Amino acid sequence: MAGAHQTPSAMMKPLAKLFKKLQTFIKCTENRTSILPQKKIIHGQPEEEEFNYQTTRCLSSYYSIFVARLAIMVMLAILIGMLTMLTWHFTKVYTMNSINSLAYGLRYELLQRPILRVWNILNSTVEITMAQVKLSEYVISHYEKPLSQEPAELHQMMRDVTWALFSSRTALDAITISYRNGFVQAFHRDHRSNTTFYIYCELVNSSVNQGKAHHGHIHKPRDRPASAIWYRERLDPVTGEKKGDRRQIPPDDLIKIAGLAEVQDGAASWRVAVSKFTDSPLLSAALPVRHPSGGSIVAAVGVTTALKSVGQLMKELVDFHSGYMYLTSLEGYVLATSTDAPLLRNTTGRKLMMATDFEDHIIRSGAEWLQRAYGNKFPINHEVHAENVLLGNQRYYIDSFFLNLTRLPLVGVIIIPRKYILGKVDQIGFTTLVILISASICFLAIGCVCILILTSGVSKAMKLRAELISQLDARRRAEASSNYKSQFLANMSHELRTPMAAVIGLLDILIYDDCLTNEQFATVTQIRKCSTALLRLLNNILDLSKVESGKLVLEEAEFDLGRELEGLVDMFSVQCINHNVETILDLSDDMPKVVRGDSARIVQIFTNLISNSIKFTSEGHIILRGWCDGSNHSSRPECSEAQKMSQCALRNRSKQHESIVKKEYQKNDKITLWFEVEDTGCGIDPSKWESVFESFEQADPSTTRMHGGTGLGLCIVRNLVNKMGGEINVVKKDGQGTLMQLSLLLGMPEDCTVNSFQTEFGKYSLKVLLALHGKQSRSIMSQWLREKGFFTWEASEWNGLTQILQQVFQENMQWSTSEPINLSRIRVVPRENSIHKMGGLDILIVVDISLLDQSTNIWKQQLIFLDQYRGKAKFAWMLSHDTSNAIKVELRRKGHFLMINKPLYKTKMTNILHAIVNEGNFENEKGSNQLNSSMDEDLHESHDLDSIHFDAISSDVSDISDMDNRDSKINTFYSEEEITERNPESHQPSYSNSQKISTQRVPLDKIIKKPNILLETENLINMSKDFTETDKHGGIIMDYSCRYGYNKDNKKNMISSITDNLQDIKPQAVVGNEDAFLKLNQPHDGGESVIEQEYQWNVKPTLYNKGDIKQKMIAKTSMASPGNTHAEGMEKQLSTERSVELAYRGSRLLENQDMHYSVHKNDCVALSSLVPDQNPLGGLCILLAEDNPILQRVATTMLEKKGAKVIAVGDGMQAVDAIKCMLCAEENKRQNSTHQDDVAEGLSELQKYTSFDLVLMDCQMPKLDGYEATKTIRNIEAGTGLHIPIVAVTAHAMSSDEAKCLEVGMDAYLTKPIDSKLMVSTILSLTKRDV
Amino acid sequence: MAATALKEQLNGLVNSMFAEGLLDEQFQQLQMLQDGSNPGFVAEVVTLFCEDSERILADLTKLMDQAVVDYSKVDAYVHQLKGSSSSVGTQNVKLACIQFRQFCEENNQEGCMRALNVVKHEYYHLRSKFETMLQLENRIQAYETKQQN
Repeated sequence: MAGAHQTPSAMMKPLAKLFKKLQTFIKCTENRTSILPQKKIIHGQPEEEEFNYQTTRCLSSYYSIFVARLAIMVMLAILIGMLTMLTWHFTKVYTMNSINSLAYGLRYELLQRPILRVWNILNSTVEITMAQVKLSEYVISHYEKPLSQEPAELHQMMRDVTWALFSSRTALDAITISYRNGFVQAFHRDHRSNTTFYIYCELVNSSVNQGKAHHGHIHKPRDRPASAIWYRERLDPVTGEKKGDRRQIPPDDLIKIAGLAEVQDGAASWRVAVSKFTDSPLLSAALPVRHPSGGSIVAAVGVTTALKSVGQLMKELVDFHSGYMYLTSLEGYVLATSTDAPLLRNTTGRKLMMATDFEDHIIRSGAEWLQRAYGNKFPINHEVHAENVLLGNQRYYIDSFFLNLTRLPLVGVIIIPRKYILGKVDQIGFTTLVILISASICFLAIGCVCILILTSGVSKAMKLRAELISQLDARRRAEASSNYKSQFLANMSHELRTPMAAVIGLLDILIYDDCLTNEQFATVTQIRKCSTALLRLLNNILDLSKVESGKLVLEEAEFDLGRELEGLVDMFSVQCINHNVETILDLSDDMPKVVRGDSARIVQIFTNLISNSIKFTSEGHIILRGWCDGSNHSSRPECSEAQKMSQCALRNRSKQHESIVKKEYQKNDKITLWFEVEDTGCGIDPSKWESVFESFEQADPSTTRMHGGTGLGLCIVRNLVNKMGGEINVVKKDGQGTLMQLSLLLGMPEDCTVNSFQTEFGKYSLKVLLALHGKQSRSIMSQWLREKGFFTWEASEWNGLTQILQQVFQENMQWSTSEPINLSRIRVVPRENSIHKMGGLDILIVVDISLLDQSTNIWKQQLIFLDQYRGKAKFAWMLSHDTSNAIKVELRRKGHFLMINKPLYKTKMTNILHAIVNEGNFENEKGSNQLNSSMDEDLHESHDLDSIHFDAISSDVSDISDMDNRDSKINTFYSEEEITERNPESHQPSYSNSQKISTQRVPLDKIIKKPNILLETENLINMSKDFTETDKHGGIIMDYSCRYGYNKDNKKNMISSITDNLQDIKPQAVVGNEDAFLKLNQPHDGGESVIEQEYQWNVKPTLYNKGDIKQKMIAKTSMASPGNTHAEGMEKQLSTERSVELAYRGSRLLENQDMHYSVHKNDCVALSSLVPDQNPLGGLCILLAEDNPILQRVATTMLEKKGAKVIAVGDGMQAVDAIKCMLCAEENKRQNSTHQDDVAEGLSELQKYTSFDLVLMDCQMPKLDGYEATKTIRNIEAGTGLHIPIVAVTAHAMSSDEAKCLEVGMDAYLTKPIDSKLMVSTILSLTKRDV
Repeated sequence: MAATALKEQLNGLVNSMFAEGLLDEQFQQLQMLQDGSNPGFVAEVVTLFCEDSERILADLTKLMDQAVVDYSKVDAYVHQLKGSSSSVGTQNVKLACIQFRQFCEENNQEGCMRALNVVKHEYYHLRSKFETMLQLENRIQAYETKQQN
């Protein structure tokens, strides 16, 4: 079992190694994991914390992996170790056991054999002895009787008998017979020399020759040593014959003779003797020979046997089996060994040796070990079996057996080297162990590798998961940061716009200040431009971020796409004229007129694109094309321009034919509109076609210096286009420039029809001469006109025009049909049935004013030249914004009243055609109607333009152009009026005057402003006046109407009705005021056309304002007198100038009315018309709901400065109460208008101003916030049919807030801090619409 | 002459306040709004602002002293203060308020306390300036009325 204990310790070593290895591995991986996050930390400090957290989590996961790995490995190791141990143990133990038992048997057997030999020897010795004794007794008894007989015969007899016995046993050493009388007979065999001796002694008193003892003394004891002589005779060992002489020897010299003394007790005695002549100990036995009769002992027989044969047997055995054997007596004397070492020692005579003193060191050490282990206390039977006794350097088995013979107990010891028995087994066991251990180590190693491989998959998965987690984390943080970004931008939109709005507002204030020098004014204007540009840039960035953060919510509202785009082109054409660039709008006729979408954003898209084009186009043209239906758009870009045109035309025509069928689109259907913006600028490199749409990306960065820009425009465009479900890209273009193609997915209005313009002009057989400077616009227009069935000629400059004119009119006179060659193909178009209607005026000449030579005075001659065709053709003049007033005046003087502003596009052309056709067709009555409708459109357009300018480019240039725009419209209107009234002559002078004076407009402006300021200061005071002033008011109106009546005799009969009306007005409240004016106006206009009456309604608020102001003016006559006198001093001028001033106001009809009024009255009107510049909110009563006292104060002041009356309340509840009161009051008013005074008295101060025109509502207020208050108000209103405009005022500037505001029923939305200009415009637009 | 000197002093004070960043453009706008029709407008607004702010600050201090701070209330107050300070144009107070609101959203009591102190500090600093300014304006007005008489 010692081996079994050894194995675990042997197993522990590799295990310990394995553990060490694992530990180092874990350390290593720990290091690795700790390195990884460190790297990351370097990337960004702020992320450190997060990553530390990550690291610990990562580390813990690594730990868990390694713990798992370790556990699996340890288990594997234990399993393999146990298997190894068990295998080894069982093989080893069973082998050992079986071999041990076999070995024990072998040892026993080995030892048994010499012992048996000894036993045999003893037995044979005893037998011989017994035989000798018996024979001796017989011989003695035979020779006893004749006792007197010669003892020699007896001795001889004895000798023969003894010899016989002796010779039969060769193993005997000696047989001795000693008689009582001392006679001794002995045979002795010397084995070494192989000689046999006969030894006898001769008694002195006997004379026998042959040494026979004296017979007489045989039975008698006598003193033996006294006189005995010993002889020895050499005998033949076989025959016993005497061979040599007898030789006298000393007694007991050779052998030990068993004496009588030894057999005194009569029993056989055994002992080990030592002879002088042999090396081995002898075994001697002695028995007495008794007298047969007497029983007395007569002789002693001794037999001696050498034990040498035992030694020899042992030697043989040991030779065969190896090992050592020895026999000892009980006392420890060695009797026989398997070695050749001497058994006797010769120190003091020959003596037996103790085993412990033996010469052979193995035997000695074995004996010593036995003695050491057991001492004298041997086990009972003396049997010892010891294994693994270390003697010398080797291990031995020691076994001892005990042979208990009477008188001679023997102990046999066998020492067998362990190697002999178990050598092979040990060796095999060792090799097995080595193989097992190495195999298990291999298994373990492979297992560990397998575990590592298997778990590495797991650990990879863990790592991936950790990475995934970190990615998720990163994503979450990124989202959060993008959220922060948008939040930040939302805040920034607020924070940035505020100061900008303040700057711009303050600049506006400064601009209106009249004490600026011209330089200062220019500088301030410049600053304002710059600030506007900066604000636009900011808005761009904010827009972009809004779109990108997905917060941009597109509106869904119906709007007139064509009109928006026309306004846009109008606006840009002004810019382009300076650049010598044509701006052309080419919308196909199948475009729906009204679409649903976010008009502001669409305008923004085109504004960006066109302004971008303008920026890079120094000469040439910019075309904005639009068409709908994506069916054949794909082929379109590949075609040349001419092809495009014709395709467009073809499509248009086909569309027209099937317009009856396809007019109705499906409800809420989406329509794809395609647009192209083409320019002839520097173009974009094809490699940059994609990248120009990225943020802050420009096709050629170097152009920034020249053209400016940030590269945001196109990015915003693309974002917006994508948001609208379309696409934009740059398309390959023939020739120079860029072609951008975009599609927009817009909704169709529910009850939509395709383009309403379907009037058939063809039947009028109009011929159109287009004398336009711009080649592109001319060709597009003529193309379009031809499709519509008109003849067209084209002329690009003066000479061409004259040429064509002469040609055409010659032909006309000759009634020749030879047309210019290029137009021959359209000759079929004119239709006979309509020609007569036109009265010969079937030619429309559209002349670009720039064709005239304006640098010198030649244009006058040119006009005179054209004048000769006046009767034969209709002229339409295209003015540009910088056309000098002299030309305009001259044109009017010559009777050209059809003037339009550049650029020319289809709508304008249509309007012109309408005007011409209707004029020609229906003369006066219907013509006015038609034209008015077209003018209505124009007016509308001008409004739109205005708003666009306000939003996008409130630059001076545009303002001026705007003015001109209106101017021109008004002019055309005048021409129209002239037609209707048929007495243009009476107005002609005033027109010319107006033209003259308008050239001096700027100085006049300044002059007029002065009384204005006076008015403005009084305004506030007037505003707060009570209704008691209505008397005064009425008086003024009286006055007004009186003057009116005085100056206009033909209207005198109206006065009575007016005064009647005024009497009605008196008791009435503010509302009544308006009504009074209405009524006042109605009779005046009674003689005029129905359309004009319509306009009255539109003009009403302005009239009202005017009246109000006038009222104030006269109430403070003392204060205003300088201004008034001044104004009156300039009465004449002003009266002629009124048209210009009124144009500035943008209210054309007012003018129309005023035209019939007296000069004096117009003076006042002209004065008042300037008021809105600083007092635009005059007469409005605004309810301001704002909880913050400071904001309340500021807003109030701001509004009051603009002329509005402001009632401020602190929260939503109060606002709702105020509205309630107002509604009650209105009810009351309606019910008992005659008892107005009583009601007014009954109401509180607040309620006196109950007619609120508008509510400014803060969104966050105590008690009831803006949203709730609005809802409540809308609920209250629900039954009454009223709708008070509510404008939200909020500090949040995101569109979501706006959406929320609009959702609860608010009408508009302003951000804090309030931009006064924006506020005023919002308020104006709302109040106008509402009233 | 005294009036012009006082006016110069007033202008200097206001300019220094602009330079320090105590005031921003909004205040200029306020000054613009002040004219003959409402002579004491700036003074009125400033006084309003001071009264309002002191009330809010007192309320805020009370709120913050409580064991459990009602952050929504605090936030509402700070928002109010921010609104009024931005409309008066007291830039520093407004900025401090913005900071305060951030802490409020985080429900960070310690930060709120700190921010409140900052706001208070800014406010008192500003108030002292405003007081000087108002005194100067009063004196100017007194002079002017005297001259008219």
